[in-house]
Order: sequence, then structure tokens, then C-alpha cells
Amino acid sequence: MLLAGGQGSRLYALTVSTAKPDMPFGGKYRIIDFPLSNCANSGIDTVGVLTQYQPLQLNRYIGGGQAWGLDTADGGVYILPPYQSMNAENSWFSGTANAIYQNMGFIELYDPEYVLVLSGDHIYKMDYSEMLSVHVEKEADCTIACLRVPLSDATRFGIMNPGPDGYVAEFEEKPKQPKSDLASMGIYIFTWKKLKEYLIADERDARSDKDFGKNVIPAMLAAGERIWPYPFKGYWRDVGTITSLWDANMDMLSGTRLNLFDENWPIRSNTQALPPHYIGAEAEVQHAIVTEDCRVHGRVTNSILSNSVTVEAGARVEYSVVMPGAVIESGAVVEYAILGENTRVCAGARVGGAPDGREDWCVATCGPDIVIGPGAHVDSGAMVYKSVEVEK
Amino acid sequence: MTDLHGIIYAFHSFPELGALQMPRTAASLPFCGRYRLIDFSLSALANFGVRDVGVIVQRDYNSLLDHLRGGKEWDLSRRDGGLHILPPFGLPSSHLGEYKGCMEALSAVRAYLSDIRQKYVLLTRGDLVANIDVAAAFESHVRSGAAVTAVCTAQVPDSTHHRYLTDAENKVTDLLCTQRGNTGGVTALEVYIANKDALLELVDYCSAHRLMHFHRDALKHFLARSGRMNVYMHPGYCRHVTSVDDYFQGSMDMFDLAKCDDVFNKERPVRTREHADASTYYGEQARVRNCLIADGCQINGTLENCIVFRGSTVGEGAQLKNCIIMQNGAVGAGAQLTNLIADKDVLLSEGTVLAGSPGLPMIVPKGMRI
Repeated sequence: MLLAGGQGSRLYALTVSTAKPDMPFGGKYRIIDFPLSNCANSGIDTVGVLTQYQPLQLNRYIGGGQAWGLDTADGGVYILPPYQSMNAENSWFSGTANAIYQNMGFIELYDPEYVLVLSGDHIYKMDYSEMLSVHVEKEADCTIACLRVPLSDATRFGIMNPGPDGYVAEFEEKPKQPKSDLASMGIYIFTWKKLKEYLIADERDARSDKDFGKNVIPAMLAAGERIWPYPFKGYWRDVGTITSLWDANMDMLSGTRLNLFDENWPIRSNTQALPPHYIGAEAEVQHAIVTEDCRVHGRVTNSILSNSVTVEAGARVEYSVVMPGAVIESGAVVEYAILGENTRVCAGARVGGAPDGREDWCVATCGPDIVIGPGAHVDSGAMVYKSVEVEK
Repeated sequence: MTDLHGIIYAFHSFPELGALQMPRTAASLPFCGRYRLIDFSLSALANFGVRDVGVIVQRDYNSLLDHLRGGKEWDLSRRDGGLHILPPFGLPSSHLGEYKGCMEALSAVRAYLSDIRQKYVLLTRGDLVANIDVAAAFESHVRSGAAVTAVCTAQVPDSTHHRYLTDAENKVTDLLCTQRGNTGGVTALEVYIANKDALLELVDYCSAHRLMHFHRDALKHFLARSGRMNVYMHPGYCRHVTSVDDYFQGSMDMFDLAKCDDVFNKERPVRTREHADASTYYGEQARVRNCLIADGCQINGTLENCIVFRGSTVGEGAQLKNCIIMQNGAVGAGAQLTNLIADKDVLLSEGTVLAGSPGLPMIVPKGMRI
């Protein structure tokens, strides 16, 4: 069960018209490609995707799951939007646990032993089948994937404190004095019978936020259920903010962080076949990711270009993430920025900027389908929702 | 529903393609970073909504089968109809060796042809690089009332010897077979739209008289019996790939972005098999000029006028000029390659120096490790 309904409000202009899991990432991908590919590679053949916020593009993108090889005879990918019924309980999803609660009927159709609950906004490669075998071996009721983080960072996460037997003894949300470095990744395997009990109980609790981390896990812990912390070693990023989205994209430039060229664990995406990209006679492209159908005539360094991006002659793109179909006209400069889909930076315009030793900078962001007019300037750290003309 | 059926000839092999056709039929030759030649014909048909396509094969078609599979990418994986691979199944006892011409190939699949449920059939060669507007050609065929329409070009490709003389209404008045120079008329792309009934008559006539060729035999007979034939002019880029020279020049043509945009017209996209590739990564040492590079590559060398296919790597300090590196090629650090075509899965280890000439590019055969 893949939770993909969040608004992604901390991505501001980028998620005005599309859901966060549909966000282009790392050139070729959308964020949801990572959990979907992980499912396919882990041998999971039935995936429910819970959508709520701006689902149209996401639904179209996921389709029948064919792109990830999930369109099998018995399984498949199913979009699960909120729905109405004679039961007054069915309405908008009010929390992560409530979203699963409202789709218990879907899970029951398959009568599984175990249910995996995933987030649609994490970048990582993980074999869930290994996690499941640990869950079975430990006879756990719930297994939570967790990451070892520096203690100084542990204050930002849900932290699990294991007891002497290794099972989770205590769960603390953003502790001031962390007792352990095991941070929850928001990836859970539940024994379905147990989860069902707790979902029903949680739904009856009027004071509950209907959230896995805040309510369901603490309730299970309080009742003495067995919760096993499954340590994950590898690259994992939550890309819920502009800075983390930019950082994680930049990480893709270093093949050692997350190897996207690994044939044994392919990350697949639902893309139409496009022609190869063209690098012009005067272009300069170094330490950069470039995708199909791009036309690069200018200079691109330390940047990630999604498909069908045009960089005209004399334009410069540095330390930036450029989403599909964006155009950077001649003489324009884009630095330390994220450009949304189909956004046009007109001739001579400047978007973003910083380092050269500066530390007080932020990523400039332009939403999708906007025009940064000729000669216009977008400051470092700015968030642009609407087209910008030159101020006279 | 589209009343047009597609037939693609994918049985041709050409000695002039040398080592490039050793492992495959010409129609499955990799082209422009990620495509196979047959993609152009299949996509042209798919973009017009053609639901039934027969692909006539005869030998060395395992690579083609692997590429086409069920035809899903061209919307040809259908509950009814779809893609049909047609190996020989009705050969006369007199048949020996390879098909000598398209009429012999059509005779060999005569049973399939009679079952065609559409009124019109488009016949084309699988080795043609062109983005034909089938909708326009079909409309022209139906409107003209002709039983056969030849898709032609105003260009004069060197190797083509099928030409038609026409009147002011684009009606064919005579047919020419000449291999040398421009002798007037318009050049056939060997893409035809024919009424199914007329086509079957021609197949039977040629079969009875042991005639092998579509242009020289079937159409000559058709015109002699006052059959009505028209031409439709294809305005864009076109090239048959039947030799190494065609292949090399045709590939280099794609650096001309006007030609590239014509072939990969966004309104009529060229579809092909989709693979799980990452985007391409350019390293700190990359120096790339005038190149077409597919997804899934890792480039760290100096490249000029090169086409690099999916999944290839070019090591630091390697220098490539006028090269085509097919799928999963690996070029080691410091290699120096000029005017070279590396077939699929080739490894050119560190420091390799190889050079062909523009008129005679060097071919490194599939799977070779140097």
C-alpha cells in the first residue's frame, strides 16, 4: 500500500497542480518510480496506490503498472482514491492510517498474510522481500525499516529505542534527547490480522490523528505487540522540501550514492520513447545528467536535465534541476535553481544564484508552465508561482 | 476504424551491409541511438491507427522477434488482429534459397493476404528511414481512385532505380528501371498503397508466371493492362539503408537538426521498445561536440560527431570522432577511434586505436572484444 496522497505543501509552486510522487526526479524519473520499482524488483505483484491530492497526472502516469512490469494476471497496480459509500466513514483520507483503514476492503480482496506500507516520496533502493523474511523470522507484528542517523540529526526523526531482546521498546517522535540512532523511514510491514485490529481501534479513537507514526505504532507498542526495527544500509532521502529535493537530485551526479545504472535493481519509469539528446557543436556539458530529447547548445554543469529540455547557445545552467520541457533561452543564466516543467527562461533572464563562498543562499524555484520574461531576475531562494516580467 | 492493412518486408539482406547484417536482417539494424530500422515503418502505420500489420521475414529474424515481441509499443498488441510475423508458409516446390523479390515473398504468404480484413494494403520495406505521413498518403490514394499509389520522393537517392513518369494529375504514365543518374520521373520509396483485390490479382499473376519483382514485373503488368496508378510525393527526409555507406551517411544526416526533426516529427513520434535506462551522465572530463547520445550512457571522453546508443560507456581521455557506438558499447580510457561503427556489446579496451575513413568506416562486429 503506497501512500501517495499527500499535498507536498513544502514544495510550494512545484506541487500546485501535481502530486509530489509525480515530481520529476534525477532526469528520467518521477519520485514514485522508486517505491514502484522496488516493489517490482522485490517480487511484490499487487500494489494499491492511495491518491488524494491532485491525482490526475499521477493516475495517468501509473496507468496499469505496465512500465514497472506490475501488470500481471493476478496482481497489478490499483489507484485507490477516496470514495463514498452507504457507510458515513468513507470520505477524504484524514491521515495515513485512515487511508489504509478506508481501503481495508481492497486488502481483503487479496486476503494477504502481510501488508507493506510505503511512502510515495522517498528516493532509495530497497529489497522489501529481505525485510519481509526478517519480519517472518522475528515473528513480529510490525517491522519498521530504519536508518542509522547521526545522533545530532536524530532530533528530526521518529526514533526507535530497542530493548535488550532487539524488539522496539520505545518509540519517540523527534526526541530532544535521543537514546538511539535508529530513525524510522516510514516503511512498515504489518501482519495483516494485527494491523486490521489496530486500524479499527484507531478509527474509533476520536482523539487520534489517524497516523501510523503518531498513533498506530505507539498503540501497538503500548499493547505489547512485537515491533522489530529493520536496519537499512544504503541511500535514502525524503524529498519533501525544496532543499531536500535539490540535494537529492545533486546526489544523483555522484554514482556512488545511488547507482541508477545497476542492472540488477533497475529503476523503471513510464516514458514514451524519445530520440537521443543532441549536444551542439558549441555546447559544454560536464558533470551533468542529460535525458532524451534534450537539445543543448549552451553550457550545462553540475546539473540535472529531464527530457526535452532546451538550452540555447550562450545560456548557462549550473547547479540546477531542470524538469521536462523547460527552455533556457540564449544568454539566460540559471544557477542553484529548480525549474518546473515547461517553464521558459527568456533571453538574458537570470534565475537564482549564490555560492562563491556564500553560505546564506537558498535554491530558487520556478513553478511549472511559467515564463520568466526577457531580462527578468529571480533572486536566490525565491519561489515563483506566476510568470515574471521585467520590472521597469 | 482504419481501413488499411500494413505489410512490411523484413526479409532483405544486403551484402553491402557487410558485418552489420551478420547477426540480423536489415530491418532490425540499430539506428540513431535507440531505434531499429523497422521502427520507422511500424510507427508510420501506428500513427495512422493501423491495427493489423504483417511482417514478412525469412531468415536471421531472431533479433527482429526480440525487438518486436507482441507489438505493444506500436499499439499492435490487440485483442483482435495486431502484429503478425510471417515466415514462409506457402512456398512452391520451385522455391530455392532467399526470396528473389517482393512478389515471391507475397506469394509465400498468399494465405495470409487473402484473409486481410481491410480494403487497402500498405506495403513497405523495413529498412526505410523516413517519417511518412500515412494519413496523407492514404487520403491521396482513396481520393485518386487509383488501384495502386506509389509513395515517391523528389530526391534522387543513388541506389534507387525505381522511377515513375507521371502526368499533371500525378497519374503514372510509365515506369522506369534504371540504376544510373536522374533519367527523369520521380523516385519510388518502394512504399505502395494498393487495393487488396488488385494486389491479390497481381500476386496470383506473378505466382503463375514465376515473376519475382513488384516494380519490374507486377506493376509493369498492371500498367500494361491500363491499371490506374498514382504517385504520392513524400516531402520529407528518406533513405533506404542497404549498405554500410547508407548506414554511416544516414546516421550522420541526423546531426542536421532539420532532418532529425523531420524524421523524429513530434506529431508522428517514432516508437520503439522502451528500456529501463537511467539518464546519461557526463563526467568532469567530458568534451562533447555535435553528438546524439541516448539514455543510460556514461560519458567521460572527448566526442565529436558521434552517435552513442543506450547503455554505452566512454572512458576518460578517450577520443572519438565520427563514430557510431551501438548499445552497451564500452570504450576504454584513452582509446582513439575515428570513422568507426561498433556493433552491439563491443568492448574496446584502454588505449585501443582504430580508424576507418569517411568513405569506408571500420566496422567492429557485434560482441567483439579488443
